[in-house]
Amino acid sequence: MPMKFSVPIFSVRNLNFNIKGQKILSNISLDILASEYIAIIGPNGGGKTTLIRMLLGLDKPTTGEIKIFGKRLKDFKKWYKIGYVPQRASHVDSAFPATVLDIVKMGRTTQRGYFSSFSKEDKKLVHDAMQKMDVLDLADKMVGILSGGQRQRVMIARALASKPEILILDEPNTGVDMLSQKNFYALLKQLNKEDGITIVFITHDIGVIADDIAKLFTINQKAVICNDPKQILSCADMSELYGIEAHLLHNHKHEH
Amino acid sequence: MQRAFIVGMIIAVLASVSGTFVVLRRYSMISETLAHSALVGVAVGLVAGFNPLWMAVIVAIFSAWLIEYLRSEFSLYSDAILAILLSGSLAAAVIIVSLGGAFNNSLFSYLFGSILSVSYEDVVTISIFGTMALVTLLLFSKELYFVAYDEEVAKTSGVKVKLLNFLLVSVVAIIIALSIRVVGSLLIGALMVIPTIAALQFKVGFVKTVMISLVFALISVFAGMTLSFHFSLPSGATIVLCVLFIFIISLIINRK
Ligand SMILES: Nc1ncnc2c1ncn2[C@@H]1O[C@H](COP(=O)(O)OP(=O)(O)OP(=O)(O)O)[C@@H](O)[C@H]1O
Ligand SMILES: [Mg+2]
Repeated sequence: MPMKFSVPIFSVRNLNFNIKGQKILSNISLDILASEYIAIIGPNGGGKTTLIRMLLGLDKPTTGEIKIFGKRLKDFKKWYKIGYVPQRASHVDSAFPATVLDIVKMGRTTQRGYFSSFSKEDKKLVHDAMQKMDVLDLADKMVGILSGGQRQRVMIARALASKPEILILDEPNTGVDMLSQKNFYALLKQLNKEDGITIVFITHDIGVIADDIAKLFTINQKAVICNDPKQILSCADMSELYGIEAHLLHNHKHEH
Repeated sequence: MQRAFIVGMIIAVLASVSGTFVVLRRYSMISETLAHSALVGVAVGLVAGFNPLWMAVIVAIFSAWLIEYLRSEFSLYSDAILAILLSGSLAAAVIIVSLGGAFNNSLFSYLFGSILSVSYEDVVTISIFGTMALVTLLLFSKELYFVAYDEEVAKTSGVKVKLLNFLLVSVVAIIIALSIRVVGSLLIGALMVIPTIAALQFKVGFVKTVMISLVFALISVFAGMTLSFHFSLPSGATIVLCVLFIFIISLIINRK
């Protein structure tokens, strides 16, 4: 499907976002192409989560344009293609009546349209996702009693169960132990390379995945885009050192 | 008498199943407000000589839409909006009935519930609308559950959150309007909320929670109506005392 590669999955042009006169994001333009593995880094409060929320239509930009598969967000219908793991998955009421299995099944909610119950295929995808995130043995546990890291893995499993074409992860492995993190990075790489899933991964842990990713975005009110995988580590260092002033970087060279 | 029990059992099912979503979605206060709006419909019906039940359904649905609209447009102070609507409705209902010269028994029975006044027509109306309400809830239960757990992730997976909110309040409005004859508008909120709160104490998954809540509601309505019948007490009050009793037992059983 060569067509698929000509239209970016996300295209952001001149995006600005202000809250009460304060600039949160300023003049951001970027593209996310099909099957790309993109990492987003930046200081706390830099606007990473805000940018992601705008891509997903959860917040509205003050000015600027966001397109998804070439369509405006409000005209886009195929949201089931997106798996999203928000930054704070543990804000939810601990008394909520849900087992781990209940939660992961939510990932299948919009895949089959209204009125239909869960099919064999749904069950298999739920099972596989839980296996990948190593939460099968927690299936009947109440989600409220899980540890932070366990819960985070369940949230990722839910996103995987939806069999997304695009996986958007906002610091999903906060609180996840080292071994699970390592496995998780390997899984992301595999999802990207073997299944062609587009991945947008907000992380502070850039060193480990530097070899896997295609582009690096540094977000600190403005965006610095590093297109050259070979330079990603030096990009990351620069970005951290100079924040947003790192104009030396390959700034959007491949555009058009 | 038999009629009243049939209606009572139907209401127990409706109130507890919808109540689970009401509680999880944190709509308890909305259901309370709708119960009072429905009373305005009853008042108009009593005074103008229309079927009070039908009028209650119509006014409650209208009020539900108004609330959802106000909540989505002016998200601040939504509990204050509810408080205003609640007391405003009650005042309006009392004035309408007083002006029409019908105050006393007829309105009293809608405030606190009465099993003696259930007519054959009521049984038919409640069965038809009740079935429709229940079927709607079950058809959308996976979406409603997802939204209750995590509204934003549900939205980014393609669940139509606004539409579902409207659907839920409409269904709840219908169920409340149907229930106030037997349970009374001051007490129906309790029958919706308390069985679920009691079921939540058992800390089990979604389906089991709904089942437990359903059983609790059925037991309370049956016991409450029996007591009401033997001691000529308002049925709503006896039902709510029974459900409270079950709630306390659940608390004690599940105490840590
Ligand atoms: N709804 C809001 N109201 C006010 N300020 C907001 C709102 N949303 C975001 N902000 C502000 O926008 C800035 C960017 O926040 P954001 O959460 O996007 O940062 P981040 O890069 O994700 O940081 P972190 O690494 O800590 O997750 C912060 O200064 C935050 O206070
Ligand atoms: Mg963030």
